Amino acid sequence: MAYLATFLWGWLLASLLLGLAMGWIAVVQRGEGVSKRTSRWLAALAAVLVAAALARVIPGRPGYWLDLGLIMLAVYLVGCALGSWLRDRVLARSAKAA
Amino acid sequence: MHGLFRWSSKWWPGTIILVVFWAIAAWNSTASLESDLAARSASAVKDTVLDKTRIEVAGRDVSFAAEAFSEDGRRSAVAAVETVPGVRLVNDQTRLVPEASPFTWSAERDVVRVTLGGSSPLPASKGRLLEAARATLGGVEVVDQMHLSRGAPPRFDNAALLLLDQIGKLKEGKLTISDTKVSLSGMARDLGGREAIAAALKNLPEGFSVAANEIKAPPYIFQAYKDPVALTLTLTGYVPDNNVHAAIAAAATRKFFGEKVVDNLKASIGAPAGFAGAMVPALGALSRLSTGTLVVADREVKISGDALYDAAAAQLRASPARDFPPGWQVKADISVKPAAAPVDPTVCQQLFSDLLAKGQIRFEPRRATIDPDSAGLLDRLIETALRCPTANIEIAGHTDSDGGDAFNQTLSEKRAQAVADYLVKAGLPTDRFTAKGYGSSQPVATNDTDEGKAQNRRIDFLVKE
Repeated sequence: MAYLATFLWGWLLASLLLGLAMGWIAVVQRGEGVSKRTSRWLAALAAVLVAAALARVIPGRPGYWLDLGLIMLAVYLVGCALGSWLRDRVLARSAKAA
Repeated sequence: MHGLFRWSSKWWPGTIILVVFWAIAAWNSTASLESDLAARSASAVKDTVLDKTRIEVAGRDVSFAAEAFSEDGRRSAVAAVETVPGVRLVNDQTRLVPEASPFTWSAERDVVRVTLGGSSPLPASKGRLLEAARATLGGVEVVDQMHLSRGAPPRFDNAALLLLDQIGKLKEGKLTISDTKVSLSGMARDLGGREAIAAALKNLPEGFSVAANEIKAPPYIFQAYKDPVALTLTLTGYVPDNNVHAAIAAAATRKFFGEKVVDNLKASIGAPAGFAGAMVPALGALSRLSTGTLVVADREVKISGDALYDAAAAQLRASPARDFPPGWQVKADISVKPAAAPVDPTVCQQLFSDLLAKGQIRFEPRRATIDPDSAGLLDRLIETALRCPTANIEIAGHTDSDGGDAFNQTLSEKRAQAVADYLVKAGLPTDRFTAKGYGSSQPVATNDTDEGKAQNRRIDFLVKE
C-alpha cells in the first residue's frame, strides 16, 4: 500500500482535492441526494469490490485497476468527508457570528 | 454524524470526474508500474544463483520462472520476489535444475576447435571453465555446449580445470568426467605429452580417479642414414636421455669404421621400452649395408638398403627379430648391391690393406669370438674377397705382448681361424683361406703403450698369388 501511495501520489492527491471540493459543495447543495435504498446498494457493491480486491481474485491488470479505483475512491471519500466537515464548521461559525 | 450521512448522499456527482481520473490513471500508470515491479523483482533475485530466469509482470502480479540449483535457493528466490513492495501475487513457475546421473562433462579437441559439453554444476563454474579453456588454448575456438545440471561430485570444478589444462597438450582427443571417473583418449601433441598428462593426473582432487587413459603419443622417431658417397652416417630423431645418446653414439662409431657420424639426435622422453637395446642391433644391421636407411618409429624398425653380397642380404632378412627386445617389430627391405668388377690379386691386396687400415676386426678380450661390431668391416672384406676369386688369402692373426707367448700364439691362431670360418660361412670356398697365428712376434707398433698394443692386436689379410 505504501508503495502504491508513493507511486500514485499525484492521482491520489487529485482524488483528494476532488473529494474536498465535492464535500465543500455538498453541504449547501440543494436537491435530492441518492436515496437510502440506492446508497445501500452502492455500499454493498463497494463492499463486494473491496472483498474482491482483498481476496485478490481478479488477476493481472484488471486486478490492479480495481485496486487503483478503490484506493482513489477511498481517498475521494475521505476528501469529501473532510470538505463537508470543514464547510459545516465554517457555516456554523458564521451563523454564530450573525 | 447525522450530517455526514446527509451530505454524503450528495457526493455522487464527483464520482463521475473520479471515474475519468481513474481511467486516465489506469491508462497512464499501468505500463510504468509493471516495468518498475519487474526491475525490483529482478534485483531481488540477483544474488540468488538461478538459470533461465524470466520475470513477467501483469498489473501487480509477477510470473516468475527460473531454474534453481537447490530447493532452498528456489524457495528463497520466490520469497524474495513475494516481498518486493507493490507485488500482489507471485505466479511461481520455478523449478529445480534437472539432476544429472551420472554427472558427465567432456572437453573434446579436434583439428580446429575445442568443444566443451555435458553438464556443468553452476553458471559460475561454467563461466570459469570456458575462461580457463580460452586461456589455455590461446587462439583456438572454444565451443560451449555445456548445460547446467545438479548432482556434480564434490571438487568437480578443480578436476575439470585440471583436465582443461591438459587439453593444450593434445593434438586431438577427448577428456571426460563421469561422476568421479576420468577418461582420456586421443593423441598427444608432442613427444612427452602423454607422460606430462599422466603426471598431471596424479594431482586430481580427492575422490576422483582415472578410469581410462588412452592418450597416445606421437611416434618416437629415430633415423639413421648411411651415405656411401659422402661417407657419413647421419643420426636424427630422439633419444631418451644423455646416457643412451652417448651409448648410441659410441656404438655408431664402433660399427661404422669408415664413416663420419653426424649426430643430430635430440633428447626427449616418451621412448618405447627397450629403446637402447634395440638401437644397437639396428645400427649393426645398417652398418652391414652399402647404402641404407634405418627408420625406427615407436617399436617398429624398418631397415632398407643394399647388402654387399647375397649371403649378407639373406642373413639380414632372416636374423633381426631375435636380436631385438621383446615386442619390437623389424622389417628388413634388403636388396643386394650389384657385384663390383673383378680385380687383380694385387689390387685386392691393396683393398684389404685399405679396409684394415680404417678399422680392425675386434674380438672379445682374450677370446677368439668375433665382436658383432665388426660385422660391417667383415662384410667389406668378404665383398673384396669376392672380387678376386682366384686369389688365395692368408689370414694372419697377431696379438700384443701381454700374456704368455704360448697363449698369444694359440689366441692368434684361433682368432685367424674364427675369421676364416666367418668368411667360409659367408659362402667363400674353404680352400682359398689359410689361417695362421703369429702371436706377438710381428708387432707393427710399440708394445709399451696402449695405443701401440691396440695396433698390434690385428688380423691381416695377405693375398698369395
